[in-house]
Amino acid sequence: MDFAGAYSPENLKFLLDGLYITLIVAFAAIVLSFILGCVIGVIRYTKVPVLSPIMFVFVELIRNLPLLLLIFFIRFALPEVGIKMGLITAAIAALTIFEAAMIAEIVRGGLASVDKGQIEAARSSGLSSFQTLWHIVLPQGLRRMVPPLVSQFISLLKDTSLAVVISLPELMHNAQIVIGHGYTYTIPTLILVAVIYFTVNFMLSIVSRRLESKSI
Amino acid sequence: MIDFHQVEKHYGHFHVLKSIDLHVQEGEVVVVVGPSGSGKSTMLRCINRLETITSGDLTVNNLTVNDRKTDINKLRKDIGMVFQHFNLYPHKRVIDNITLAPIKVLGLSKEEAEKTAMYYLEKVGIADKAKAYPSQLSGGQQQRVAIARGLAMKPKIMLFDEPTSALDPEMVGEVLDVMRALAREGMTMVVVTHEMGFAREVADRVIFMDQGQIVEEAEPEQFFASPREERTQTFLSRVLSH
Repeated sequence: MDFAGAYSPENLKFLLDGLYITLIVAFAAIVLSFILGCVIGVIRYTKVPVLSPIMFVFVELIRNLPLLLLIFFIRFALPEVGIKMGLITAAIAALTIFEAAMIAEIVRGGLASVDKGQIEAARSSGLSSFQTLWHIVLPQGLRRMVPPLVSQFISLLKDTSLAVVISLPELMHNAQIVIGHGYTYTIPTLILVAVIYFTVNFMLSIVSRRLESKSI
Repeated sequence: MIDFHQVEKHYGHFHVLKSIDLHVQEGEVVVVVGPSGSGKSTMLRCINRLETITSGDLTVNNLTVNDRKTDINKLRKDIGMVFQHFNLYPHKRVIDNITLAPIKVLGLSKEEAEKTAMYYLEKVGIADKAKAYPSQLSGGQQQRVAIARGLAMKPKIMLFDEPTSALDPEMVGEVLDVMRALAREGMTMVVVTHEMGFAREVADRVIFMDQGQIVEEAEPEQFFASPREERTQTFLSRVLSH
């Protein structure tokens, strides 16, 4: 075990470069999948004709496929039919589609958990169905969604490491390269990478707990 | 103001409302009583189209309730509704529960809406709770907020769906007091309730429903003293004997 060698300035910088890509990909995928997941979740919740069944099929299809398959598909299959994108874009696209399907279910469940009586109260006071969704259902539903959403985001951040298979230069990928420089680096490098993943995700958990304690 | 004409409602094979004819005049207080499952709540909920009817005519404030062309939100803004389980919005303070619809539906400014809200909160006797959240209030207080929320829309009609059934006994009185005051001021009210004392004292007319039908309707003195129908007699003997 060569801690000093493994943690040389060049190696540390290389690992941090990997972390940077991990965070960029995770952040972009979190934002995009949240937006997409909310849209799909609301469509499913409000049972929009035609769209809702289509989204049901989409969600079920994606949920029941491994993310790794999706990453391979976007990176290697899509270019065959003329859809080409860069490494980072491909990773973000795969994660966004996969996580959006998960988030859509969280959103739908969260909205459905809001008491029907309040919806009746809002509607009977003359609020439109959209106003009811916006002022009554969404604010309460969103708060209830915080814990499962954060769990999902933590999964997403960890799942970025799967993009190692398409050689995305993220944290896990760069760790493998550092390890490749010498077998004595294996344990020190993996320990450091573990600490990094843990720290980032644990911070997400803390934010989640804070948001939860604010909800009613 | 409210006119049911030969209204029928089915839930699948279940015939919930059978040829309902009911006419409520402006300023009238109509109390609907009857055993559970008799269709009283369903009938009440048809008035603001929380339930749809299968056939027949139902007009409220000269609007045909089940006409596709009727703007349902326009119809509803003139009908306040109070529910058994209060249905306050738990994420909003009392004052915001009350001002939401006046701001969003009537287009009042926040200041105007809050002024109106405070007026009605005072009226139901809990102005000091304006900044509280519903969960910090007792059941009776929550129901009074719900009544204030309905009134803040300045509706022409108030519907009450078993407003005291979910309350602890000691809180029933405070809610009935508010309703009594409202009736005295001439509000048009349709009240579904099990409170026979309230029906006797406040109602202009009592409706007895059983198995989806209006079995009997009469002024309270006559209704309680000498009910015509056997089913009414049986019901009254059960609920008044204790």
